[in-house]
Amino acid sequence: MNERTLGSIEAVDRPARRDRPAFDPELRAGLAIVGGMFPPTITSDLIDFMRVSYAGPSVDTLIGGRSICCEERVFEGYEGHALKASVFRHERASGLRPGVLFAHSGGLMFGDRFSGLDRMIDFVELLGVVLVSIEYRLAPEHRDPYPREDVYAALEWMASHAESLGVRLDRLLIAGASAGGGLAAGVALAARDRGGPRLCGQLLDYPMLDDRGLTKSTRQFDGIGVWDRVSNETGWSALLGDARGGPDVSVYAAPARATQLHDLPPAFLDVGSAEIFRDETVAYADALWNAGGDAELHVWPGGFHAFDIFAPHTALSRGMIATRSAWMSRVLGD
Amino acid sequence: MQELLARLKALDPNASLALRIIACFDELVRGGVNIHGLLGAAASLSGCVAGYAGHESARTLRVSPGGEVLKDGGVEKRVGALEADGMTVWLERDGPARVNDRMILERLALALAIRSGHTAEDPLRRLGDLLDANVDVEQRRAAAAKLGLAPRQKYRVATLPLFATWNQHRELLEDVVHTRFGPLHVCVLRADVKQIDASPCGIGVATGVDDLHRSFATALVSLRLCAIPEVPVVVADDYGGLVDLLAQCTIDRPLLDVEELESVMQHPWAAQTLDALLRSASIRDASRIAGVHHSTMQARLETIRGLLSFDPMDGIGRTRVGLAFLAWRVRHSTALDLPPPTGR
Repeated sequence: MNERTLGSIEAVDRPARRDRPAFDPELRAGLAIVGGMFPPTITSDLIDFMRVSYAGPSVDTLIGGRSICCEERVFEGYEGHALKASVFRHERASGLRPGVLFAHSGGLMFGDRFSGLDRMIDFVELLGVVLVSIEYRLAPEHRDPYPREDVYAALEWMASHAESLGVRLDRLLIAGASAGGGLAAGVALAARDRGGPRLCGQLLDYPMLDDRGLTKSTRQFDGIGVWDRVSNETGWSALLGDARGGPDVSVYAAPARATQLHDLPPAFLDVGSAEIFRDETVAYADALWNAGGDAELHVWPGGFHAFDIFAPHTALSRGMIATRSAWMSRVLGD
Repeated sequence: MQELLARLKALDPNASLALRIIACFDELVRGGVNIHGLLGAAASLSGCVAGYAGHESARTLRVSPGGEVLKDGGVEKRVGALEADGMTVWLERDGPARVNDRMILERLALALAIRSGHTAEDPLRRLGDLLDANVDVEQRRAAAAKLGLAPRQKYRVATLPLFATWNQHRELLEDVVHTRFGPLHVCVLRADVKQIDASPCGIGVATGVDDLHRSFATALVSLRLCAIPEVPVVVADDYGGLVDLLAQCTIDRPLLDVEELESVMQHPWAAQTLDALLRSASIRDASRIAGVHHSTMQARLETIRGLLSFDPMDGIGRTRVGLAFLAWRVRHSTALDLPPPTGR
């Protein structure tokens, strides 16, 4: 407190010197509403609360009266374990359509196949894609490699059941948000290395790529916004246990560690400037370019983590959604 | 956001959604968000189309809950239309108005009036003005009169995070006020009221209308002294001049004894031990309050003595450690962090 504001209200016209980007005003207003439902700092004792709080909406709410149908399927996850997949199609779609495999957000510890799915379902309507959202197993009950290998198994299942799912094998895309973005990037690496299904793109929304937590942005947002450094440590510890940050973490679990980034499908990466994943997302795009790859990167000023999920009506979110849609249309559209 | 509000209510039935709506529009106004953005927030909060028509400009704008601008239409669905400051605002619903509609429209109308320069006085800041020493005293008195405060009465300010848990929320003179800690819930109480059925909550000292900023400052310190669940409410009166002193100093900048105390506070037992020592006249009393053996308390005291450059139990040393401990609690307060939701 300076002399002028001593024991009083902060002068509006005198912003304090900042050591981090400020949140966009519309998003700050959104935080006044969201606050408490998604605490900025998530420790392991909050996992149970978050599993309730971050549960996805119902299928009816997601579809919202649009001409989209949802079919529940079961596939064999890692080690043959039966897992659920929800398959969304346009009711009037005919023939084989582009396929999108989606890994949901939720810090590797919570969320389900309907969490944050609103924006992905739009592509069923806009582009006529077949959207497959899967119930991969969560940490800490299921540590690495379970979550990612479940997603990988889903990709193989989609490819081997392309006919019955109505999916075109030449337009298969993997998508993920936040923790799901990290899983998607890891699956893209694994598919390349194992000679797995060929992907036409990887959509990495504000992806969780790096367990080491060494970037500047990781330390810039303690205790504010959505998903801070401590939350991130909680998530990575749930996935990796004591191996987090050490020398024995695989590049498939933490793609930021990968040094071989050649021959990967075209990538789309978006992230907020006011979130901890900013630096690792920018670095991953940069590394893809350096390896001769195809990547499109957008950093949205003043955006907190996953702001398009929490405040989709804002100008920044609409910009992010439209930009992402344009890329999806280029990569997948007819 | 409407869906978020509904979920929030389900998770915490005592959450004050109205306050969050106020805080939301307050942030939009402070951030200079345009008319499209203001309508988008109203639409998103209500889950239906929000519209506005300027009487003079004959400009109409309708925005969907997704933030998209819509073409003209929907006139038959308008509910709760509000006319103010040369404009009409409304929501478009298939059914009747819902519980928060009125609040959303009122705040939307205010925000639009401020944005379009139709209102010279910013009504959103009336309570904020009253508590701001930088505002001219005549202006503060005028604000007090408009709020129905009597010039010769004494009042006290209570402040809470927007996310405080309420057991019972009575009708209060309240608003959202911006502080350097972000938006806070602020209430003005009669001087004889020394409790609020909510936590965490800091209740300031009683003052006249001209000095309510001092009451607010002591309320802020009191709030920061709260520690959920052990200390849900702090009344500044209980600490008297100490809280007033803390309210007037720069706690977050280096302070001599507080810096020394930081090393003591690294011990997990430190807070409980110091609290017990400060509340008692002897080490024996202190060990009873802390619920530890006399020899344990003695050993801890020796550790503390080893880390401080003064004897915390001797003469002025007691005062020094007492004040430093309070300042440390304020500095390291978590009362303004979102409470862990599992406890609700």
